[in-house]
Amino acid sequence: MSRSNNVWYKQSLRLLDHELRRGELTIIFLAIVLAVATVFSLTGFSGQIKHAIVANSTNTIGADRVFGGNGPADEKYIAKSKSLNLDVALKVATDSMVFFGDNMLLSEIDAVSLNYPLRGELRVKRTLSGTEEVVGGPEKGELWVERSLLSRLGVNIGDTVEIGVAPLKIAGVLTNVPDRSYRFLVAGPAILMNVDDLAATELMQPGSRMWHSYLFAGETNDIEAFDEWIKPQVNDSQRWYDAKRAQNRLSTTLDSAERFLSLASMLGIVLAAVAVAVASRRYGQRHQSVVAVFRALGASISHVRKLYCLHWSLLSFISIAAGLVLGYVLLLLGANAIEGYLSLDDTPLTFTPFLTAVVTGLICAVAFAIHPIKELIHTSPLSVIRGFSEAKAVKLGLHQITPLIALLVLLLMFSGDVKMSLSLLAGGLLVSVILLGLGRLVMSAGRSVGTKAGKSWHLALANLKRRANENSVQLVSFTIAIKLLLLITVMKTSIIGEWEAQFPTDTPNQYLVNITPEQIAPLKKFTVDNDIPHRGFFAVYRGRLTAINGEKTIVVDDKKENEATEVTADKKNADEDNKPKGRKGMGRELGLTWLDDIPLQNKIIEGKWWDNNDQTFQVSVESGIAERLDIKLNDELSFNLGGREFNVKVTSLREVNWKTRQLNFIMIFNQAVLADFPSTSISAWNVAPEKKEIFYQLIGQYPTISMIDFDSIMKQLNQMIEQVTIAIELILVLVVLAGSLVLVAQVQASMEERERELAILRTLGAKGALLRNSVLFEFIALGGIAGLMASIGMEIGVFFLQTQTFEMAGSFHFSYWLVGILSGAGFVGLIGMLSCYRLLNLTSVTLIRRTM
Amino acid sequence: MNDKPESILKVRSLTKSVQLENKTLALLQPIELTVNSGETIAIVGSSGSGKTTLLSILAGLDLPTSGEVYLKNHGLHQLNEEQRSQVRANHVGFIFQQFLLINSLTALENVMLPAELANIEDAEQRGIELLEKVGLGDRLQHYPSQLSGGEQQRVAIARAFIAKPDILFADEPTGNLDTKTGLHITDLLFDLNEQLGTTLVLVTHDPKLAARCQRQVEMDSGVLSEATNNSDFVATETPTVANVG
Repeated sequence: MSRSNNVWYKQSLRLLDHELRRGELTIIFLAIVLAVATVFSLTGFSGQIKHAIVANSTNTIGADRVFGGNGPADEKYIAKSKSLNLDVALKVATDSMVFFGDNMLLSEIDAVSLNYPLRGELRVKRTLSGTEEVVGGPEKGELWVERSLLSRLGVNIGDTVEIGVAPLKIAGVLTNVPDRSYRFLVAGPAILMNVDDLAATELMQPGSRMWHSYLFAGETNDIEAFDEWIKPQVNDSQRWYDAKRAQNRLSTTLDSAERFLSLASMLGIVLAAVAVAVASRRYGQRHQSVVAVFRALGASISHVRKLYCLHWSLLSFISIAAGLVLGYVLLLLGANAIEGYLSLDDTPLTFTPFLTAVVTGLICAVAFAIHPIKELIHTSPLSVIRGFSEAKAVKLGLHQITPLIALLVLLLMFSGDVKMSLSLLAGGLLVSVILLGLGRLVMSAGRSVGTKAGKSWHLALANLKRRANENSVQLVSFTIAIKLLLLITVMKTSIIGEWEAQFPTDTPNQYLVNITPEQIAPLKKFTVDNDIPHRGFFAVYRGRLTAINGEKTIVVDDKKENEATEVTADKKNADEDNKPKGRKGMGRELGLTWLDDIPLQNKIIEGKWWDNNDQTFQVSVESGIAERLDIKLNDELSFNLGGREFNVKVTSLREVNWKTRQLNFIMIFNQAVLADFPSTSISAWNVAPEKKEIFYQLIGQYPTISMIDFDSIMKQLNQMIEQVTIAIELILVLVVLAGSLVLVAQVQASMEERERELAILRTLGAKGALLRNSVLFEFIALGGIAGLMASIGMEIGVFFLQTQTFEMAGSFHFSYWLVGILSGAGFVGLIGMLSCYRLLNLTSVTLIRRTM
Repeated sequence: MNDKPESILKVRSLTKSVQLENKTLALLQPIELTVNSGETIAIVGSSGSGKTTLLSILAGLDLPTSGEVYLKNHGLHQLNEEQRSQVRANHVGFIFQQFLLINSLTALENVMLPAELANIEDAEQRGIELLEKVGLGDRLQHYPSQLSGGEQQRVAIARAFIAKPDILFADEPTGNLDTKTGLHITDLLFDLNEQLGTTLVLVTHDPKLAARCQRQVEMDSGVLSEATNNSDFVATETPTVANVG
């Protein structure tokens, strides 16, 4: 066959080269680039966050099992574990101040034995630029610190800092801690020290809070045997857990943050995929005339097929490559933005995002384009005479199953979560239908308004309504993007501000913890001398509520007490019967105190406050908890405090205003109950900014006292919100970009139709300004409607956040409605005008020529 | 060139009809036509008379409902789409009313296209020569959008001749051009045709253009009749609508 030559690839390359340079493939190129870049950066991003949260799920507790308690464990536990050939490591955790010269910083201190950890890897760098090495616990006199401590305290590796009263040298920075429970709002950066240095710090005081964890590891059989043996002995104030049960509340929170990121990302991917679908339809239409000419001039179908397969493959390849580069840059930017809060610098960039992104690109390039390209290749040569098929309305058919399945595969690949992917797809369709209905309604209403609003508006709204099908995709995407952006803005600026503003000005901003009895007098004197308002010193004891009226309490699943996974003796019994038995109790340890007088802003609502001479054991219970646990006046409560049990009678129920940021207690006893127990005290002060200097000097004199600076925590919280917002905004920018691309692609697809309309209107004598305005107004109206619907969505979201998360009264944010509507109208108007720029600048003659 | 007339195109009892809902609409009544090699023939008729339908069947772009079409002894009515496209590649050239150049290819690349498809080695050299012949030697690397309508049609003419087709089909080649440009194009077309001895089948409703052909046939409501006298067309000349748009 004379035509079975190889010119097809030459022609294919020639077409691709020219078309790329002439910008004819820009939209489809950008659509694939965006899809790949979105997936690459987001997969990498959430991968990095995941990595930072749980480095390696099997090693997250640094052991096979952990026993935890408020003090050293019973010697017999250690002896038994030794007899079973188990390895044991010790970790004592506390919060304390770290000092360097005049600087100080509250830190999370873990004092560990040399053989720590037993499972997983503890890795450090001995110099900042050095390589990682796997190590055990630090030597005596040395510290491993989290990197952020260096800048926050102004120290370097090799400097000596003070913890409590002990000078210790920073020997390296931590890059991986296997049992680091990830917490956003930790008191401060983590420090590992040698457990043998603990005594020298004098941080251990009677009543001070030191959580002792004993890490056990060994052969599975031995561990199981030890598990069997120790479980029945674990009391209410102790914990016994494995990796599965170690999940803490904060990791749950982070999980939801990650889910939010995933959802937003998946939305971005869906939009990018839609953009590819729209753009490839356009690609098919644009090339019809080329194929028709080729076919008329005698090119065989196989020639055309080869030509376009190569053309499309090369285009996809170039787009995917460009997408990977862009995605990598975005990933770096995103990681940079949150680096301070999640130490990502050492988390490796895995192969997964790369692979996922490439597969995404391929799926987009194949599944969304296969139908248009198939149609394209089979363009009849007769079209050169009969004309080309117009952009047909999308018909429902088998060929739409492929993109839908592809979309599902994309979502699955990204999230690895069948339920989430299916529900996102179904939910997306549902939300789209609802938004569509609403949007149509508004567009129709707009149409009747438009008839009265002048010619340009009239035309614009008529067009908007007529193109309702195409517009609906844009409407949905912009509505969602604007809503998320508004929600984040409102949360960042309004909610936190409103929450802070509700506190009176003398609200405490410094909390002093771990005050020994002999330190109270000089501190009191200091507050008097310097006129620092405070509500006194409260002795604090940690204990558990174990029974109500002799009936043992159990921990029931409760969102607010998300520690139900602990194995306590009661819980175990409950598990055996497979249904809870006993009274509902508190899962956690409580901060207990005794007082002679009822605290300010507490109100007795039942019973009465005690007479201080009365030596019977009494307790006043906060009314909310009383209601939740069904505690009545005169009930008898049993507590376990440091292993000692005692019973008290409920003599009053108190209403507490929790919003004051004052120190509040759920259980307050009379002094007779707690007199024999050792304690440390806490106090909440309002230190004015000008007194901070002397305040810090004072704290410097008492290294064992921990200071919690609420101002700096708020600052940290704000900063954290700021940083996380940046990360989310980055994703939303991708979502908005994808949405814009859909818009541009749709406008491109409607270009011929628009040209024809404009030509007709021109011929009928319409002025340029009228036409320009009608196009502009069409997009402004579209954006405005999206903005309006987004504002409604945002308000609903904010209402839930305010009432559920922040427990404050809901309020309206109408100024943000304005922002939403204006930014929607402005942005969509701008993008729309830009994509119609060429069209609007054609002269009447050209316009008429081109379309006739 | 053969002195002895040899038929290049033979049409026997050709009809074309389309099904519109429940009605059958006859576009072409049984048509008989023979075109000799080297002949120039004009198919004239008013809009909707069926001349373009006939052209697309003669060129193998479409199939007849019944009857036979032989192009260079290939029975087009018996061939499938692929086989017909091979016949087109080897024997047929086209000129369209809308020029139908590929916008993303340069003038030269557009011209080279049929030669490449026919596997002709010196496609580029021939393309340059032809473009020089049609007066566009300095516009080789220009894209269609950078050329005027007349220039685009000149490129199309160069493209039509590059593969040295045995027969050239032209569908209203001046339909999109003003009178003056149209005349230039017509001259160019007939000059080249004469030089290369190509058979030309031209569809037009312009009597002046039709008169340039050696032979004219008239199409009226699907019925083809031989017009014996050239002067018929000159005499019944109607004003040409320039740039019918």
